Parts: sequence; structure tokens; C-alpha cells
Amino acid sequence: MNGYTFDWDVVARALPSMIQGLGITLQITVITIVISMILAIPVAVGRMSKIEVIRWTAQGYIEIFRCTPLLVQLFWIFYALPALTGVTLPGYASAVIALTANLTAFMAETYRSGFQSVPVEQVEAGRMLQLSRFQQLRYIIVPQAMRQQLPVILSLNISLFKDTALVSTIAVADLMFISNTISAQNYRALEIFTLAAFIYFAIAFPVSLITSAIERRMQNTAGPGFKPGPSLLARMMPGTKVAAAKVPA
Amino acid sequence: MSRHSTLAPASSTNLQQKGTQVTTPAPAPATTGTGQILVSARGLQKSFHDRAILRNVDFDMRIGDITVIIGKSGSGKSTLLRALAGLTDPDDGEITFDGKTVFADKKRTKDWGTVSSEVGMVFQAYTLWPHMNVLDNMTLAPRKTRGMAASEARDRAEAALDEVGMKHHILSRSTQLSGGERQRVAIARALMMKPKLILCDEITSALDPPVAAEVLDVLRRLKEEDGIAVALVTHDMAFASKAADRVVFFHNGEIAVNTTPEMAFENCDNPDLQKFVDAVRF
Repeated sequence: MNGYTFDWDVVARALPSMIQGLGITLQITVITIVISMILAIPVAVGRMSKIEVIRWTAQGYIEIFRCTPLLVQLFWIFYALPALTGVTLPGYASAVIALTANLTAFMAETYRSGFQSVPVEQVEAGRMLQLSRFQQLRYIIVPQAMRQQLPVILSLNISLFKDTALVSTIAVADLMFISNTISAQNYRALEIFTLAAFIYFAIAFPVSLITSAIERRMQNTAGPGFKPGPSLLARMMPGTKVAAAKVPA
Repeated sequence: MSRHSTLAPASSTNLQQKGTQVTTPAPAPATTGTGQILVSARGLQKSFHDRAILRNVDFDMRIGDITVIIGKSGSGKSTLLRALAGLTDPDDGEITFDGKTVFADKKRTKDWGTVSSEVGMVFQAYTLWPHMNVLDNMTLAPRKTRGMAASEARDRAEAALDEVGMKHHILSRSTQLSGGERQRVAIARALMMKPKLILCDEITSALDPPVAAEVLDVLRRLKEEDGIAVALVTHDMAFASKAADRVVFFHNGEIAVNTTPEMAFENCDNPDLQKFVDAVRF
């Protein structure tokens, strides 16, 4: 191992500070997820609007945030926006705004594909039974769309949790920022960043397992006659030939 | 006991017309029904992207009739059903339901709301909401739209499921049911709103023949025991010949033939219908 001597004492000393950093990381993650999951609903509805101005606005927003790097978005809000508006935002607020704007764009597309995956006959069946538009949304569309897209939503949230490491670049004292600082002070990058990676893994891995379990459960409970819909990739890229998910016999 | 048993029978004038209305388009009311006119459409027109789907369609159904609608894909059958269900508004024409004009002058009238609950529809696929069990599928609409108590809704659901032979599946998840069972539950769900007319859009096309026969038998019993009118788009000629009161053949957006099953299948002089029936039978 290149003659490297591990110093695990530095890990023990660094752990309390890193746990504090983890607190900030989790705080930013939870706030971002909660706000994004709410804001994504009107964006998704706007994306499906029959009114072109609304649809184009929503689509423009989504494409801007999907097609530019998150780090650029973060820097733009932290460094460029003050130049434009004269208002300087603290790093924490900039981080939350940038991550929320980014996650909302992805979440809105996930919602939209979920809404559109509900067969129109099921909505029409609701109409024929006199359910109002709100009742159709509340009892037919949203439960199925969320169920259908839950694995994707959880995957997005796992990605967001990992992406919060980028906020360390604008001096927000998250887990990554603290790790970097301690590593620089002690010249113990291997131990510190290994510990940081372990902490990220310890949080993300169980959620990833839950996501896989939900996916398996959804396939196993689909029942006879279930026809898997096109994959997310196929829905996002109309015209692409992508095989539908396999259903267990 | 028929729900509509007190209704007057068809007039003698209508009965006299029975033999004459064979293979002509149907400007006049159908004549073999068991009661009064329930649905009447006049001059229905509908186009999609400049393609005419319905061309001046005149169509009548009597209370308690089973009308089988046949024709090639894209001939206008499903569009007619959707127009009668209120899922698609015609471009022009008039629809009358139970004596009330519900669509005229290119828009719905105020009577639409009062009669729309008397029309049920069953679709070809995806008929049940898969995230609910059978009971919830049955009771959601009565509870949410009519404020029915859960216990009353359950009683009514049990009765409706009993009618279609599915009472033992009341707590099953809809995804656990076979295709035929789902369609029977979908019919029972439509019955929860006490419809006078049930529209069925190719509800047996994805089912094996014996299962399809079971589903169609349910419709026949609903007509015989409850006097519910059924408009059915199907390719099941055996059912059409045995159970239908009228057979309507669509061709290029028009009703080419509107007659009795006997006339349609045995004495029809319409070459398009003959060709269609031969193809389906084969």
C-alpha cells in the first residue's frame, strides 16, 4: 500500500465535526426535497397545459435546469445573481435555491411522465362515474402516478443527497466542506475522505435498497394482465426503441 | 322484474315498420325495441384533423334494447359511443336522452348534467383502478359524488357484484382478477350509478371466446332482468345474432345498415356488411 500508515485517531477526532457537517447536509437535502416535491406539481401541470405560453414557459424552465451543470447553476446564483440584482445571498440560501430549482425541474418531468402513464380510460371511467376533475386527480391519477414513479422519485432524492457535496464550493459547512477542511489541516485525505464516503454511503445505500425493493414489489404485485408501460427513457425520448420492463411469469 | 316494465310498448305503427326497415341508413327510430325511445341522435357529425369520422349519423335506441354496433376500425363506432357518453362532443347534431335534449347547437344543454349519471360506460382495457380493491372501485363514486354512507355503498356494491357473479371477489385487488372478471366488475361498477344505458366499447376484444361469452351473458341478463339498454361495439357475431335487438353497421362514418340480427346476418343485401360479416366469422 505504498508504505502508507493509517492514522485512525484523526478519524475519531474528526467525527464530531463531520457529524455536524452531516446535519447541514441532511438539512439542505430535506428542505430541498420538500420544496421541490411541492413546486414540481404546478410545473408538471404547466408542462402539460394546452395553453402554449404556459407550456413553453414550464418546458423552458425544465430544459434550462436539466441541460446545464448543477455546479454552474450554483455558482450563477451565488456569484452572478448578486451582480444582476445587487442582492447578495448567503451561501446556505444560495445552495437551497440552486438545488431546489434543479431538483424541481427533474421532479416535474417525473411527475409529468407519471401523470401521463395513467391510461386515459381510467380517467374517463372516473368521468363517467361523475367524479369531478379534482376527484379524478386526487383518487385516480395522483395515487397511480406516484406509485408508478416512486422509484424514480427516490432515485432523484438519492442523487440530490449526493449532489449537496457541491455546496462546499460556496463555503457552506456541509459534510464535504468539513471533510475537506479537516483533511487540509491534517494531511490525512485518505482517512477523512474514506470516512466521508462511508457516511454518504451509509445514508444513501438503505434508501437505494428500499427503492429496489419497491420496484420489485410493484412488478410482483402487478398481477395477470399487467402490461408494463414504456420505460422512463422511452417516455422521455419519444421514438426511441426501448424494450418494456420484463414481468415475472 | 324489469325496472321499466311500466313503460308503453312500441306502437303498432312502429311494429308495422319492422319488416321494411332493413338495410337503409336509419333516419327513423329503431323499431324492435321493448319500449320508448331512450336515446336519439340526429345529424351527428364529428371530424378529427379534417377527417370525417361521423357523417350525419342518425341513431336511436329504445329502453331495454341491446344494440350491437359493428364495422371496421375507424368507421365511427367508438366515436358514436363516446359522443353518447359525453366523452367527445360532436361538431354538430342533436342528442336526446330520455326525452330531454342534451346536446344541440354544437354545445351541451343544461339538461346534460341531470341525465349524464344515467349513462354508464365500460371500456376495452384498463377498466378498473388497479390501486384499489374491488370494493373501493365500486364505492368510490357513490360515496364521493352522492355522499352515500360507506355501509350503504357496500350493500349496493354487494348487490351489484352479485348480479354479475362476482360477489365473492369484493375484497380482491383488481390486479388479482382475470380479464373477464375485471370486465364483469367494471359492469357492476357502472350499475352502482343505476344507469338506464350502458355503453360497451369492445369490452370483449381482449378476452378468450368462453370468457367473452360470460361477460356478454351478463349484459343479456341486465337487459332481461333490469331493462337496461346496452349499446355494444363488438365483433362477436354469435352474441349479436342471439341477443341483439338491433344490429348497426358503420361504414365510412355513416350507418350503412340498421336492422334486426336476422336481417343483418341472413338476408342482408349490403355488400360491405356481407364482406365484413364473412371476414369476422372466418
